[in-house]
Amino acid sequence: MADTDRKVMLELDDVSISFHTSKGTFDRGLHQVLRSVSFKLYENETLGIIGRNGVGKTTMLRIMAGILAPSSGRVIKHPGKAASLLTIGLGHKGDLSGRDNALLSAMLQGASKKEALGYLEDIKAFSELGDSFEEPVKTYSSGMKSRLGFTTALLTHVDVLLVDEILSVGDAEFRVKAEQAMKQRLSGEQTVVFVSHSDKQVSELCSRVIWIDKGRIAAAGDPDEVLEKYQESIRAAKRKKKA
Amino acid sequence: MTLSKYFGLVDVQARMLLKADSAKYKLGILWWFLEPLLWVTVFYIVFNMILDSGRRSGDFIVFLATGKFAFIWFSKTVIQASGSIVSSEGLIGKIDTPKSLFPMSAIQQSLYRQSTVYIVLVFFLMLGGIMPDKAWVWMVPVLVVFYLMIVACGLIGACLVCILRDFQKIIPLFMTFLMFTSGLFWDPHQIASPAKTELLFTVNPLAFILDAHRQVLLYNTAPDLFHLVTIGLGSVVLVCLALLYMRRYSQYLALRVLT
Repeated sequence: MADTDRKVMLELDDVSISFHTSKGTFDRGLHQVLRSVSFKLYENETLGIIGRNGVGKTTMLRIMAGILAPSSGRVIKHPGKAASLLTIGLGHKGDLSGRDNALLSAMLQGASKKEALGYLEDIKAFSELGDSFEEPVKTYSSGMKSRLGFTTALLTHVDVLLVDEILSVGDAEFRVKAEQAMKQRLSGEQTVVFVSHSDKQVSELCSRVIWIDKGRIAAAGDPDEVLEKYQESIRAAKRKKKA
Repeated sequence: MTLSKYFGLVDVQARMLLKADSAKYKLGILWWFLEPLLWVTVFYIVFNMILDSGRRSGDFIVFLATGKFAFIWFSKTVIQASGSIVSSEGLIGKIDTPKSLFPMSAIQQSLYRQSTVYIVLVFFLMLGGIMPDKAWVWMVPVLVVFYLMIVACGLIGACLVCILRDFQKIIPLFMTFLMFTSGLFWDPHQIASPAKTELLFTVNPLAFILDAHRQVLLYNTAPDLFHLVTIGLGSVVLVCLALLYMRRYSQYLALRVLT
């Protein structure tokens, strides 16, 4: 299908963003995070975003989710469609039980109290937390916390799903289950933006990939081609370091 | 977010905050009653046993407790609401949610808590020989206006702390200043010049509200209604302005919190 035939869910038009950083008393610097980034996100596609740490991937997701506003440029949203970040552990409160935390997270992601209460048993079952679901979250291991967070996030529904490094949760067994659930979600009618450091996940799940480097789009298009260019740049950087 | 969802979330957040708070301590929910009772004990020790000034000291404890219990509601809530947005940094980086949600939840939480404080106060007044009276109905408008005032100050405080963290240092200091200037330990009606009393009530609405508590509960008299309504309307205007600001500059506030 040609790009022009497809419905645009979200568009970034010449988006730049910079932060003021304070280095000391009265001493402030300007940190340019994204520079003139433009792209379109189409309905039902899975767009992968790759790049090294600190190049602005998370900031880009935050702009798409409407959490931050760009310093310049425009974010054009399809009317009536909401974009939301899929996030693990929306500020878990250690003194509350897994159940209470799940209720709160689901409501924060837009569910009404009634809907959220309806999700709880599914969350308990999928996360395999068993009786620990009623225990305070502060007694959980980090793996258990991410199971709870992943499950809560997965079971809530949004039009555009923004995923930030999510499939590295829990033990091997749970990870397989999480990946399967994610794939199922992706194969359905769901528009997804997916940030990952795993080449395997990106080439398996994404239909299109954008590589961000130093706040700009370095390459965009077919996942395998873009991944190849990205890997080549990493190898080049390593060679340069050695030399 | 629809209004019913918003208020549902504020309510659940507030309950969860209370739950988390009481789970932290061994005596849990008992602290809601213990804290005001301990204050009364402290007053008793200081004013009845150490500074025993004869027959009037009992009246003074009642006078002090009435003002103090009301003041605690104001100061604690405003301080907590002010810090509520910046302390929710983790959440704010992940979802685009109305920023007023955080101070409102903190305000709601202390509203639930304060209800027990007022119950303790009523028992304490009865212990001091002051029985409930028909005039106590005036407490309803006084409390409504007081609540609106707390919401206004809490929301404005939360915005200020977001924009400049230094306000988190200034606000508690300001509360101490208010404690001394709102007639907590002294009766504003005993200021030598009535014009000064009037000026105090005009400049410092908190002094007026604390005095209204005493007028109704201790002397069974109605508060100055015109003054009360003025404070109520002023608070409503400030609440609306703060909410509009938070709505309009939601992303700016998020940026301030995150960087």
